[in-house]
Amino acid sequence: MNRRTVIGGLFAAASVPALAACGGGITSLDGQGSGGGGGGSSKNGVTIGTANFTENQVLGYLYAAALEAAGVKTKVRPNLGTREILIPALEGGDIDLLPEYQGALLHYLDPKSKATEEGEMQNALAVALPKGLQILPYGLAEDSDAFVVTRETARKYKLTSLADLANHNGKLVIGAAPEVKKRQVGAVGLKDVYGVEFKEFKSLDSSGPLVKGALKKGDVDVANLFTTDTDIVDNHWVVLTDPKNLVPGQHVVPLVADRKADSTVRKALARLGNVLTTEQLTELNRQVDKDKKDPQDVADAYARQHGISKG
Amino acid sequence: MTIDWSWISEHTSDLTTLTLSHLQAALSAVVLGLVISLPLAVVAHRVKPLRGFLLGFSNVLFTIPSIAVFVLLLPVSGLTRTTTVIGLTIYTLVVLLRNTVEGLDSVPAKTKEAAKAMGTRPLRTLLTVELPLALPVIMAGVRIATVMAISLVSVATYIGDGGLGQLFTDGFQRNFPTPVIAGVVLTLLLALAADAVLVAVQYVLTPWTRRRRSA
Amino acid sequence: MYELFKNLGAWLVDGDQWAGPDGIGHRLAEHLQYSLLATLIAAVIALPLGLLIGHTGRGAFLAINLSSFGRALPTVGLVVLVFLASGLSMWPVYIALVALAVPSIVTNTYAGMSAVDPEVKDAARGQGMRGHQVLFQVELPLAMPLIMTGLRLALIQVVATATIAAYVSFGGLGRYVFDGLAQRDLVQVLGGAVLVAVVAVVLDLALSALQRALFRHRPAKSA
Repeated sequence: MNRRTVIGGLFAAASVPALAACGGGITSLDGQGSGGGGGGSSKNGVTIGTANFTENQVLGYLYAAALEAAGVKTKVRPNLGTREILIPALEGGDIDLLPEYQGALLHYLDPKSKATEEGEMQNALAVALPKGLQILPYGLAEDSDAFVVTRETARKYKLTSLADLANHNGKLVIGAAPEVKKRQVGAVGLKDVYGVEFKEFKSLDSSGPLVKGALKKGDVDVANLFTTDTDIVDNHWVVLTDPKNLVPGQHVVPLVADRKADSTVRKALARLGNVLTTEQLTELNRQVDKDKKDPQDVADAYARQHGISKG
Repeated sequence: MTIDWSWISEHTSDLTTLTLSHLQAALSAVVLGLVISLPLAVVAHRVKPLRGFLLGFSNVLFTIPSIAVFVLLLPVSGLTRTTTVIGLTIYTLVVLLRNTVEGLDSVPAKTKEAAKAMGTRPLRTLLTVELPLALPVIMAGVRIATVMAISLVSVATYIGDGGLGQLFTDGFQRNFPTPVIAGVVLTLLLALAADAVLVAVQYVLTPWTRRRRSA
Repeated sequence: MYELFKNLGAWLVDGDQWAGPDGIGHRLAEHLQYSLLATLIAAVIALPLGLLIGHTGRGAFLAINLSSFGRALPTVGLVVLVFLASGLSMWPVYIALVALAVPSIVTNTYAGMSAVDPEVKDAARGQGMRGHQVLFQVELPLAMPLIMTGLRLALIQVVATATIAAYVSFGGLGRYVFDGLAQRDLVQVLGGAVLVAVVAVVLDLALSALQRALFRHRPAKSA
């Protein structure tokens, strides 16, 4: 036994028992059909990882509800961090499945990609993904990155589109999650595509209390939020238009390790993807953020109402 | 800032799970810290030239921010409980090592010489004379390390673990004070309870200190 | 691992890395500001408290429990709690750092005071010294080494923990740690961690030098 297994064995994580309990592990009786990375099996259960913002957790629990209904044991690990942390964890085996967003994932894997149409992106993703990972068909629901200003800022600087930002180079402060500084759909792309240069990039959070608080207070002029964030409408904030299509389509898409991608998983997630709409997802986010409901309860209730799970 | 009591009553089982997970992380780190620091302390106690190096090194480790340690461990042990436990162990070392060395130092030379004169072998002297006599000081270290580890576990919430710390990030993201208050209170209670248990353990383990005091 | 440290070297010597609002120079200054101010506030609160408890002998039980309580207080939780109460401001950072520093200073000050030999105090009183004279001319100088130990311990903890400022949108060297985590840029995380450790060690050495310079003529130990 090497040291890691000794330590791991002595102090096994709380995550282990749930999966170990369902034992077994005969490979793919159900691996036929559906194509893609064969040989996966969800029989030992699937660990779903989620990023550090509400919607991703809601999606994680929705995936769990859909998979449980199909007889797959699941464990959700909420709030693990950013894509930059999660994808290595997926490759390393700490998690098996992750709710992702088409365009953002594509730009993470291949910043130079020109694909913008959903089908194109799906193909480009299949090429760009690291070995051992695959994406499943994308769902109806969409959540894009939005660059948002207050009404007062929009009026003061005459801002309606991202291109207008370049008229005020060196004057405006942008607030976004730290990872956005180095992302194509972020500070890098805004400079490349629109020639925008900010006075300062403030590292805040993913459509969370910091970035919204800073926008309200005027600490930042431009904020990177998610289009499904109900605070945009509630505060009458202005979403800058994107005439040069910097921000790609962001349909929700499951990213899964080959080892778990069997037909049960595919079917269950495809079914969910074809039911869940952007409006519904936005409403679920609102219930968690504003009504302080648990993401798991919200997801389970949705799954029952829409026939994803029985009950 | 109001407390939503109904949230608390609806989440008792979640809170219990998180508390136990929190405790497990902290205790694992203290146990692992003891396993590592006991032999190191014996070395530091016996080999004077290494003493300054070992104590100094553990002091420097203590100055590194815990969040950075967790992140830097990601390539080694990933997003797992192991990462949390290794990270916490590093912080327990500084207290455990220092106190164990001081405890061994506090054993009177005469006592050791007496054991030697009676023909007791060095290892046996260490196990049956020196360590028991050093126990009060070592236990003081264990108490500090345990309380410190319990308060530090929550930092691991930034890598998706962290027991009760998950309540902090959750409450932060949703602008919801109730889980945060619950997390802080439970952490404090856990620390107080663990400390009380350790006091009791020490009481049982060192009967001679009680006799001496009452004499 | 070798690669990581090689890149760290490049990161640290890169001139661009030192300039601008996100440069090491600026982050270092912010970090020093947070740490020194917080420790100073903590000292202003904790020193009189520790001296009073030590001098009067009352409240020792409280002091010891306060220290245990303070050590158990989870900094992340405290920061978030104050953030939710006060909004986007420096309050969460300073309150959490001060709460962290106060117990070490109080308990060490008290310990230093209680280690002063009662006979020395009696002798001072016997020579006609008043209470405050005994405190400032006898007890305080004798307790100084332990008081300084408490201050140094508090400062080290505060410097390491001031990293948390970055979690609630502020600067300091923690910026590199939190940004590096979000971007999975381990070189940046390591750079931030090393700089924090260097700041802590340098400040500790500076305080210990100050201690030696100020109290050279004092006896090192009571009794």
